Amino acid sequence: MVGQIAALRRLLRRLLTSELELFVASLIVVTALLLGLAVARLLNSLLTDAGVPEEVEGTLFERTARRLGTSTVKLVSRLSGLFIVAVGTIFALRVAGVVNAGLLIERLADFLPSLFVAALVAILGLVLGDKAELVVGERLRSVKLPEVNALPLVVKYSIFYIAALVALGQLGVATAALLVLLAAYAFGVFFIGGLAFKDMLSSAAAGFYLVLNEPYTIGDEVVIDGQRGIVQEVDVFVTRIESDGREFILPNRQVFKNGIVRVRD
Amino acid sequence: MSDLRDLVGEMTDGVEAVLLFSPSGSYYERVVDADQPVVVVSGENTVDAEHYVELPLEFSDVAQRIRFGLEGALENGVIEEGDAVLCAAKTFAEDIDSLVRVRAGDFVRSGVYELFADSRAEASVIRDVLEVAIELGKKGQKGKPVGALFVVGDAGKVMNKSRPLSYNPFEKSHVHVGDPIVNVMLKEFSRLDGAFIISDSGKIVSAYRYLEPSAEGVDIPKGLGARHMAGGAITRDTNAVAIVLSESDGLVRAFSGGELVLEIDPEDY
Repeated sequence: MVGQIAALRRLLRRLLTSELELFVASLIVVTALLLGLAVARLLNSLLTDAGVPEEVEGTLFERTARRLGTSTVKLVSRLSGLFIVAVGTIFALRVAGVVNAGLLIERLADFLPSLFVAALVAILGLVLGDKAELVVGERLRSVKLPEVNALPLVVKYSIFYIAALVALGQLGVATAALLVLLAAYAFGVFFIGGLAFKDMLSSAAAGFYLVLNEPYTIGDEVVIDGQRGIVQEVDVFVTRIESDGREFILPNRQVFKNGIVRVRD
Repeated sequence: MSDLRDLVGEMTDGVEAVLLFSPSGSYYERVVDADQPVVVVSGENTVDAEHYVELPLEFSDVAQRIRFGLEGALENGVIEEGDAVLCAAKTFAEDIDSLVRVRAGDFVRSGVYELFADSRAEASVIRDVLEVAIELGKKGQKGKPVGALFVVGDAGKVMNKSRPLSYNPFEKSHVHVGDPIVNVMLKEFSRLDGAFIISDSGKIVSAYRYLEPSAEGVDIPKGLGARHMAGGAITRDTNAVAIVLSESDGLVRAFSGGELVLEIDPEDY
């Protein structure tokens, strides 16, 4: 018994003097391992509580993950845990001086966070893109038009593209050419789209005022743009007025351009 | 055994069309190749049927369901007046378990299909209002039975044929029937007197309205009170539909064109 304690004391003294670095390094590795495990566990339950599993349900990424016996939430939390362990290990290696604090480890330490963020962005992009495709497809399901099927795909690949761009940018890959392409695409969407939806947008802007302030409401008799009738419906885009079995559907921007006459008898 | 088969066979003789009520995919596959047109009547066209009648409300009464399906099929021109029609529906089980043979046109058209399909208001709005009325009838207001009157559609005209009894609690609010909060609001406001007015798209325009239609030529069953009379009469004067929850007998009734078209007991749902 006494001998054992003496042996332990000798070991401790050796560890704390000549091999202090090794001791600290292994401490760091153990702490990193525990911390990584805890973070992975915590993230897993946090994401599950936030309802992420239901949200990603049905996306391609989730299905692939499922087939490989894991899930999106598990992947993300494990990745985060792994990142912490990896950072801890590199730090420990440096402290222990096992590997000369050379260029390689220096670069690796700088590179690791970027790699982590890139992986996260890639996963997020894949899930978001798939999810957006599902949502848009669901919204457009009632529209029986073959061409409309292209829209969910466009949305999906746009999100993939942007995610890929961000991920590659994180890794330091030259993305200038891809950026130019993105700029051209964004210009097309916003400028051409804005031009195409000009009337709708101005109607919606006027509609917000009409809906919030209700200068006239359902049941009022009004004259808008020469059409006299009883207001049947006011929504964000149009006002419907009706008289003698004829219903006029007027864009709200017309209301603002020409003003309204309320008929009070 | 063969007698039994004959009995069932007799039902299928000379049938001009088949109506399937909420069939499963495999059931539909088995029937679809028949010589007669097959009409699917259900809440959603999950089997991609060629002839389809949307069932907006799961009528618990099979007779009511069949009536709705028949009127829908008649309206869509799949069957004609006087055709013998075989209906397959669920009565007790989760799957189709009953066969009914009817002659389309043997009964007076109640207009229950037109109530949903041809009203000014959208079918989903009418369904939502019916559901609110049914729920109100079931639970009442704090346990006490309440009455309520909803006028759906043609809101502009209805507003001009009514006057406010008091300040309108729905002024400048943008709630639509079917929003989750609305059930609570309507329940609270149902203790107010007067009618709720709901637009074609489901916006609740006003509560507390006193309807002033001319009640001339309104034909509603005797014994119903002033609320039903007002509801029936406004649908004659305008293109609206009235949905009335009776305070005394607890039934939900729908009026269209001044006539009673639908009567349901909330307790059945």
